[in-house]
Amino acid sequence: MIKTDVIIIGGGATGCGIARDLALRGIPHCLIEKGDFAAGATGACHGLLHSGGRYVVSDPHSAKECYDENIILRRIGEKCVEQTGGLFVRLPGDSKLYRDRFLKSCEKIGIPAEIISSTKALDLVPNLNPDIEEAVKVPDCSIDPFRLCMLNIISSQKRDGIIFTRHKVTEIIKEHGRCVGVKAADQVSGELREIHGNVIINATGAWSHLVAQLAGNEVPLTLSKGSLVITNHRLTNMVINRMRPSADGDIIVPNEAVCLAGTTSLAVEDPDKIRIESQEVDTIISEAGRMIPHFNDTRIIRAFSGVRPLLKSAKADSREITRGFQIFNHGDGMYSIVGGKLTTFRLMAEKTVDTVMDYFKLKKPCETADIPLEGQEELSGYPLAKRLADMKNIVCECELVSRAEVERIIKQTGTRYVGDISHRTRLGMGPCQGGFCTFRALGIMHEKSIISPEQSMNALRDFLQRRFRGIRFCLWGDQLREEQLVEYIYMGILALEKK
Amino acid sequence: MGLIQHDVIIIGAGVAGLTAGSILVEKGYNVALIAKGEPTACLSTGCIDICSLDHDPLHGVSHLPDEHPYHLVSRAVIRESIEKFKESMVQMGFPYTGSPESNRYVLSALGTFKTTCLVPSTMAAAPQDEKDDLHIITFSGLKDFYPSYITARRKNASFSTYDASASTTMGLATNFEREDFLEKFLSWLEKLNIQEGKIAFPAVLGLESAATITQKIEERLRCKVFEIPTIPPSMPGRRLFNALKDYFRKKGGMIYWSWPVSGVEKTKKIIEAVTTPSEGRPKSLNAKVFILASGSFVGGGLTARRDTIVENIFNLPVFVPGQRDNWFDSDYFSLNHGIGKAGIIVDSSFRPKEADWENVFVCGGILAHTDVLKNGCGHGMALATGYAVAASCMGYIK
Ligand SMILES: Cc1cc2nc3c(=O)[nH]c(=O)nc-3n(C[C@H](O)[C@H](O)[C@H](O)COP(=O)(O)OP(=O)(O)OC[C@H]3O[C@@H](n4cnc5c(N)ncnc54)[C@H](O)[C@@H]3O)c2cc1C
Ligand SMILES: Cc1cc2nc3c(=O)[nH]c(=O)nc-3n(C[C@H](O)[C@H](O)[C@H](O)COP(=O)(O)OP(=O)(O)OC[C@H]3O[C@@H](n4cnc5c(N)ncnc54)[C@H](O)[C@@H]3O)c2cc1C
Repeated sequence: MIKTDVIIIGGGATGCGIARDLALRGIPHCLIEKGDFAAGATGACHGLLHSGGRYVVSDPHSAKECYDENIILRRIGEKCVEQTGGLFVRLPGDSKLYRDRFLKSCEKIGIPAEIISSTKALDLVPNLNPDIEEAVKVPDCSIDPFRLCMLNIISSQKRDGIIFTRHKVTEIIKEHGRCVGVKAADQVSGELREIHGNVIINATGAWSHLVAQLAGNEVPLTLSKGSLVITNHRLTNMVINRMRPSADGDIIVPNEAVCLAGTTSLAVEDPDKIRIESQEVDTIISEAGRMIPHFNDTRIIRAFSGVRPLLKSAKADSREITRGFQIFNHGDGMYSIVGGKLTTFRLMAEKTVDTVMDYFKLKKPCETADIPLEGQEELSGYPLAKRLADMKNIVCECELVSRAEVERIIKQTGTRYVGDISHRTRLGMGPCQGGFCTFRALGIMHEKSIISPEQSMNALRDFLQRRFRGIRFCLWGDQLREEQLVEYIYMGILALEKK
Repeated sequence: MGLIQHDVIIIGAGVAGLTAGSILVEKGYNVALIAKGEPTACLSTGCIDICSLDHDPLHGVSHLPDEHPYHLVSRAVIRESIEKFKESMVQMGFPYTGSPESNRYVLSALGTFKTTCLVPSTMAAAPQDEKDDLHIITFSGLKDFYPSYITARRKNASFSTYDASASTTMGLATNFEREDFLEKFLSWLEKLNIQEGKIAFPAVLGLESAATITQKIEERLRCKVFEIPTIPPSMPGRRLFNALKDYFRKKGGMIYWSWPVSGVEKTKKIIEAVTTPSEGRPKSLNAKVFILASGSFVGGGLTARRDTIVENIFNLPVFVPGQRDNWFDSDYFSLNHGIGKAGIIVDSSFRPKEADWENVFVCGGILAHTDVLKNGCGHGMALATGYAVAASCMGYIK
């Protein structure tokens, strides 16, 4: 049994941010995540570090929070934030009145916003629809959510934080009406681990009502599914937003070598039963195509959905629900942190840890806004020079990942999942979506005796099935052709049986 | 209009196009084959799948759904096409083993059994059950072959690794073509003192001389040797392609490489010529008859748009398996994806139905309702329909 002071459930941005904050304030803690870091909404989001512009008209309070955090993250996360800048483009027919309200509210809150002509906008982003009326420039940025989680975790690990990924909390242990610990099941071996602590923080996003229930608590949550599509190359170097009240497909965010476009917003019941529809894919493409026409004929490599954990509200349209957050003190040693945005994760963590400090009657102030994220040098990407150094032993041709890099990650993390390698190296993230390199990565894993070859066959099947879910609705053109090839390789040449 | 008048122009250098072409040149027709690139044969295992649904492939064929294009070819013609294929492969020094009466297995790189019908002689000794003892030879740095996938499934298999300082299948195959390399390798192999009854290799035992190299190893080691097909780039696939192509050329056929057909010239119901945008070459090629053997999606004959599927050269009517949502089943492994049925529907003489042209014939993977993966009928169907289409063309030209 492990004993600690604070148990954090959930390894999304919020949970990881809490771990870092606790670490910097010297509080022993243990973080438990059922998948890999960023397995939930964090990994399924746009990666837009909001300037606040998106909410400036509908929810000025959240907009202000976003802008403040945007400035902080640019400062402390210089290497993991790409300062792309963003444009809100107004297309013919989009309301000028909305633009006026937008500008007025930006001014009031203090978000820098500059009107630029369509000519100027096209200079900045040549792929833009030449018919736009005008654009407003704001300090939007692009951020890699997975890397962000990892960087927060480094601070925790450096200060003896205990981290369990691939462990699902299945039980909350209560004594005399107070939460005193959790039981977590190792998702690989099924083994149960018991961890005791004085305070439990529930940072499980769209699952927080389910985790709260384990202790007999309630969390008022509305779940909203959003979907995104990824292109095979970068169509814009700036974030592009549509100048109109939030609607489907009105944000395009550049990230590394690709672009993400979305999203949609549909109420859902069960965070584990979400699926993407081809109609959503089509809507996103045609809406994004109105801002960047080239979108219509660009190769889409994947689509995916995430679930936004929003505070319950009487408002029917989930887009109108506040992006603000709230901390629930359940009064039994459990706290749930709900709502918010990726952009405001640090602030959410600060407020949560403040609450915990009050509980422990400790005074140390929050330092997460002042100290730069640790470990950025090593984690800031995987530079091309390094990728090209070992050309002979490239395992993933699309993203140029070498065998040595794969072996390093296997050694470092002892992982049994190809997904963990992908997150850390971009293996399988390119156009073939792991069609070729997964067979190799698993081969290397059992060569290194990390997993048995039988496990690797199961992992291969599982990988292909999951991968297919992401690409199934984006199959036409070159992507369909590539998919037919991959299918023939696994089912024809390798005669992989279904089992 | 171009200057050269051919009797027949075949578009596509796959198993289907090359089969049709060889038959027509042998009958004395002036045939040109044009292709924008390599066929799917180069990606394949080199084994000829005829129909893997039944132990007896021809029996399997007769149980295929009515609309399957195999039914346009009689059993006798399927047999003839196989015989013809085997003969030509013997001539090219790349003989095949097997008969259309029964299927057999090859061992896959995952250690599973792939069902197929004809196999290159280099795979003839592949185990047909779990019993054989195997010793696998692999090569250090070869990134597409992991013997532990196989040893995990077969308790009586072990492996050794040779350092050939090449990390690709092509690099290794080139090495094996060199006498000195082979000698050095053979003496290493002898020293291993292998006890198992069969030696398995990833399919890298040479390119032109694979059959003799395999034989040589067998003679020296006095035990059976066989190859395990790899994922592309696949050497046995390339050998198959080379053999078919060289046979066609040897018989007098001509090939225009890197000649992507992009348009046609036509009068009324007749296609006069096909055209290409490339500079410095004849811009158009004329013929009396055109055979479309441009393959399915991977080959490049069909292209899927977001809402439909099109044929890229003659814009022939395509059978589209419903709306996009129906193109793929939600279960990846179902093998029952609607997309496998997409293609061109033809009449009994292999002319596209409901099309405007009377001198266009279609064969191979581009045909509708083939479900190649599900039925395990890739090259076999390409051979049979290629063979049959040649006969239809001759009938038309007369
Ligand atoms: C499509 C989409 C696009 C978005 N785009 C943006 C954007 O561009 N910018 C922005 O700022 N915000 C964006 N958001 C919102 C943002 O993604 C979320 O608000 C934020 O990531 C929530 O983080 P979290 O850590 O609270 O939750 P999550 O990331 O969901 O983390 C919760 C974690 O808890 C784990 N968990 C659940 N149950 C258990 C259990 N029993 N035991 C152990 N672990 C458990 C889950 O696996 C998960 O990893 C977007 C959201 C969506 C859906
Ligand atoms: C990865 C993979 C592995 C396979 N493995 C096997 C196997 O082991 N055994 C088996 O029996 N079957 C296998 N198959 C199936 C088999 O390859 C095909 O079903 C069959 O060979 C189809 O041949 P084809 O001649 O009709 O067309 P293809 O092989 O597709 O050839 C099409 C040809 O047309 C050309 N072309 C296309 N468009 C144009 C244009 N506009 N202008 C000019 N030329 C054009 C192409 O360049 C190419 O040369 C495999 C398929 C794949 C994809």
